[in-house]
Amino acid sequence: MDMNDNEIQPSDYNRRDFLKGGSVATLMSLMGGVRLFGQTNAEPAAQNKPTGQKYKVAVIGLGRWGREVLNTLALAPHAPVGNYLVEVAAICDNYPSALRRAGELIPGVIKTEDYKTLLDNKDIPAFIVATPTHKHKEIVLAALKAGKNVYCEAPLANNLDDAREIAIAARSLPKQIFQVGLQDRSDPERTFLLKFIREGALGKNLMTRAQYHKKYSWRQQSPNAQREKELNWCLDKSVSLGLLGEFGIHPLDQASWYLNAKPVAIQAFGSILAFADGRDVADTVHAICEFPGGIRTMYDVTLGNSYDGNHEVLYGTNGAIMMRDSKAWMFKETDSELFGWEVYARKTLFYKETGIALMAGASKGVVPSSSSAEENAALSSPLFYSLGNFVKNSNDYTNAIADYTTNFGDDQEGLLKHLSENVHKRPAAGYLEGYQATVTAVKGSEAVQSGKRVEIAADLYELK
Amino acid sequence: MKIRTLIAANAALVVAMAFSSHAADKLLFKAKPGKDMKIRIEGTSTIHDWQVEGPIIAGSLEVGPGFPVEPGQAVTPGKLDATAEIKIPVNSLKSIEKDGKPYSDKMDEVMLGKLKCPPNRSITFHLTDLVLKESAKAKDAPYVCEAAGDLTVAGTTKKLTMAVNITPLGDKKLKITGSTSLKMKDYNVEAPVLVGILSTGDEVKLIFDWPVVLAPPAAAK
Repeated sequence: MDMNDNEIQPSDYNRRDFLKGGSVATLMSLMGGVRLFGQTNAEPAAQNKPTGQKYKVAVIGLGRWGREVLNTLALAPHAPVGNYLVEVAAICDNYPSALRRAGELIPGVIKTEDYKTLLDNKDIPAFIVATPTHKHKEIVLAALKAGKNVYCEAPLANNLDDAREIAIAARSLPKQIFQVGLQDRSDPERTFLLKFIREGALGKNLMTRAQYHKKYSWRQQSPNAQREKELNWCLDKSVSLGLLGEFGIHPLDQASWYLNAKPVAIQAFGSILAFADGRDVADTVHAICEFPGGIRTMYDVTLGNSYDGNHEVLYGTNGAIMMRDSKAWMFKETDSELFGWEVYARKTLFYKETGIALMAGASKGVVPSSSSAEENAALSSPLFYSLGNFVKNSNDYTNAIADYTTNFGDDQEGLLKHLSENVHKRPAAGYLEGYQATVTAVKGSEAVQSGKRVEIAADLYELK
Repeated sequence: MKIRTLIAANAALVVAMAFSSHAADKLLFKAKPGKDMKIRIEGTSTIHDWQVEGPIIAGSLEVGPGFPVEPGQAVTPGKLDATAEIKIPVNSLKSIEKDGKPYSDKMDEVMLGKLKCPPNRSITFHLTDLVLKESAKAKDAPYVCEAAGDLTVAGTTKKLTMAVNITPLGDKKLKITGSTSLKMKDYNVEAPVLVGILSTGDEVKLIFDWPVVLAPPAAAK
């Protein structure tokens, strides 16, 4: 499950949707934001014509997020590394109708209701697991054991024991790629921002704020009562980590990433206000996530109102950075030091203040915006980059292992050294980041359910 | 003390057997992967120079009597008894920035396409002639050679001659370095062009550091 869930329902509208495209950029410029761009290697699809071998993946779980994964992989001409394309070679779901519908979109795909039938298929080296959270463990462990590269959606599991078991299994298999669906960590805009922020662009960190507002029931309908119950697992607190665990895991992980710190406590409040339809999972949540040194992240999520959509803001003594989707703007304090590139920047009005719009990057970390970069940023979602990096990293590992063992034999120590030193892995959340984000999500869910402040011991983030 | 002397004598005997008693036979050196192994390709374009590096130069070097395998070994300039088979996996070549950081997946993709990989997954070199031009001037100095052989790139094979330095490092290791220039057109490799934006030069420079180590007798058989 993910914050970018795109299921279309009658009540699924969002003010932000009316502002998409150039309007958002224009609006933010008028607000005085400095639009920041990270470098991206993405090229327009027309120029990207890989003709070589395909890298095959199986998508396990064809619910809302599984379908989003399939839709994203349909953009795969952007994703390959080398001369490789991504091919969805198999799909799996235990619900025949879901399997049939998805199968109609992909001619020739292997369709199965049982993922175990794919474990021995050597033609498919990778699994993308997009099942409900509480069903990850069995599939992920089996896939890892079978030698597959595995992409597991976040959170890893709905409890710490399962999350730890998955992470430890992945850690024990360094020749396989294990990636967690914390897709923002693969977004080039955000990886660019990380460097910018870590270099001190914001001055002293003060706080962060994030929100997810959407008019959206989170409920799915089915004529089959049993199927409807399964579909709506996220509304059942016996298996679901709720909004804070399933949606909030992403901004809370981002806060940890940017602040380079782990939460020490989390306090949260949840209520069922907009959709009292029998669910026992809150539809509106407020959370305060505490980091060392008195820095806090305020996060709120509601399914009852869409005002101001989905965004995050980082505040420092020198300025603030707002992130919306894969875009970011900087609002500098007037007493902050010049970076240098402001001299190239365009001035625009923001209410009663004069804002700075970036026209050309003069700092090492900021590059000029180009229409292709901007268009690609709009077209390419974090999930797109995340899946792309999974495929690229998996493909590179497969090739590197084959190259090494073919030429130098079965020298496992040398091979691991080769993988570690010579294979450049694209940015992606691995087992440790996935586990640590899941710890925060599980503790956050506990806080919502108890309405109390829950402390998180530092050693809980360690994999023992 | 006597035991130490005995061990030292045995060690000397092993080395002597490797480099002297076996000298009548061939010695097989095999590529030893590690940080000091590197293939680098440098090229130009209308925008900026580019560079590609790879960490794998696989293969072996078989040498006969009179080949410089020990530091400071006296060797007379002239033809050396040596053959080599070298293989560079194309997939392992990656574009890099000047500071060594990864450059561009897109460029890597284009490169694989231009090198016709697949199906041509390796660049290979078959050494046919090795001539010692200049013996080592010091114990840690290289033996300056000229190597000739068949280079296969993107499925096309051409004769190639290049300068090569061979430095015996002791402990049964050799460091072999060299560089040469070649034209991509000679190998039917079309220089990448991005219409209206960038075109690359046809000539590229190839630089390599190839450490090899004497294979144990079992592996050498």
